[in-house]
Amino acid sequence: MITIDEITIVRDGRQIIEEFSEKIPAGSITVIIGPNGCGKSTLLAAIAGDIVPSKGTITIGEVHPARTSARTLAGVRAMAMQTQFFTLGFTVRQIIEMAGAPFQVMEQLHLTQIADRHVTTLSGGESARVAIAQAIAQNAPVLLLDEPLAAQDVDSRLRIIDVLKKLAENGTTIVVVAHSSEVDLTWADKVIKNFA
Amino acid sequence: MKKFAPTVNAVLLVISIVLALSLGATHIDHFWSALIHPGSNEILWQIRIPRVFAAVLVGAALGIAGLMAQGACNNALAEPAILGTSAGASFAAVIGVLFGVVQVGSLGAIALGAIGALFATALTFKLASLRSNLSSFALIIVGIAVSASLTAIVGIATTMVTRADARSISFWNFGSLSLITNGNLIGLCAITIIGGAIAWRVAPALDLLSLGDSTAFHLGVDVRKTRIVALIALSILAGGAVSSVGTIAFLGLAAPHIARFVYGPAHRFLIIQSALIGSTLLLLADTAARTIAQPNELPIGLVTSLLGAPILIALVVRRNTTWRTP
Repeated sequence: MITIDEITIVRDGRQIIEEFSEKIPAGSITVIIGPNGCGKSTLLAAIAGDIVPSKGTITIGEVHPARTSARTLAGVRAMAMQTQFFTLGFTVRQIIEMAGAPFQVMEQLHLTQIADRHVTTLSGGESARVAIAQAIAQNAPVLLLDEPLAAQDVDSRLRIIDVLKKLAENGTTIVVVAHSSEVDLTWADKVIKNFA
Repeated sequence: MKKFAPTVNAVLLVISIVLALSLGATHIDHFWSALIHPGSNEILWQIRIPRVFAAVLVGAALGIAGLMAQGACNNALAEPAILGTSAGASFAAVIGVLFGVVQVGSLGAIALGAIGALFATALTFKLASLRSNLSSFALIIVGIAVSASLTAIVGIATTMVTRADARSISFWNFGSLSLITNGNLIGLCAITIIGGAIAWRVAPALDLLSLGDSTAFHLGVDVRKTRIVALIALSILAGGAVSSVGTIAFLGLAAPHIARFVYGPAHRFLIIQSALIGSTLLLLADTAARTIAQPNELPIGLVTSLLGAPILIALVVRRNTTWRTP
């Protein structure tokens, strides 16, 4: 379970999140929605340990992300960013292998055909899918995804949602940030909105 | 073909070594016989062999140093000369030599060079991240400024000194292997092994760092520690090399890029290949520098630039999927 306890986040002098609390149950898919700039990605980054709240605490099980080493945290949560820029010409397979075994997730997300392509040649949607695949391959009990459906076509969206459902069925806790334009959220177990 | 490329690279280095040993102002009679009988020919054993092995070690050190700079900054333009590392090493070594604390090429000068390199690189990073998160743009601009300031101080210091060896210090400061002796090889060997070992250890984390600081952190990398360790390796390698033979331009930039174009981006593999390519380039450049305009010797930095630039341009023009900038 992820417990968010009265957190306030201030960045560059601007209060982005104010005294927000929430409990996210284990083995579920939770979607955070809201308009641009409302702090959805900031909340996800705080759960991932990228940002330390000015006030309040976040815990993943017994772990405090803000006080945990990067190595330990990598075993607790995985995260795919909204945009992943690849600087070096690793292949798709090599990128996913950096996190864990690539074969199953490459097949699930239809990446097998481009497994040997350099990631520097991928489109935005393909790059995003590789980033999602890498996060899934990390095999952590908590999976955090920032707008994973944004750059995808309909087939890819359905495929990603299907993979997420299966992961949740197997006990993974999934938190997804989505834009408020996402109308069909029937695949989510819980939706958080207007939280800031 | 790609499978055999590492072997081809090693063979090229061996051929370059033989070429460098056999060519020079003085013809060596019965070259092969002299080569297998230690001490039999003074020019070969006292001058050329130390110089050739110094070129191999310095080329390897600068090749790996460039790789560390580019990996730590996640920036294609980063190299010891741009981050202020070379200027810091030069500054510390020259000041040490001028004040009589150390001698050119000594272990003390190498240690001083490495400390100066570390100090200057740390200064560049500190200044570049003072107002916001570390950006490539700030890093390069600040690095150029730190480098220019330290180089200017070194220039002023060597010009003002009237000591007899000031000219040789000045010449060395522009990059030359002509002052190398057998005694310098121990220090060069030590910095290449120590720096190379640290680089080897941090290399897998640099693969992850290429995905950006946030993603690397999500995958379990301590970003700050990784960067510090890579910069220590960079400072030991570049600092030791510069304090022994002066500033040699372009090698730290070109060798890792050439290696990456041929062998791909994995840092552990690139350590070996950047070292081999750096050694081969420097050997060929030094051989050309001391034979083209006999009896004069050309500054080696000019030749490394002339030799490395066309190779790099040809590779960039041929394919561009190896490095992409935001």
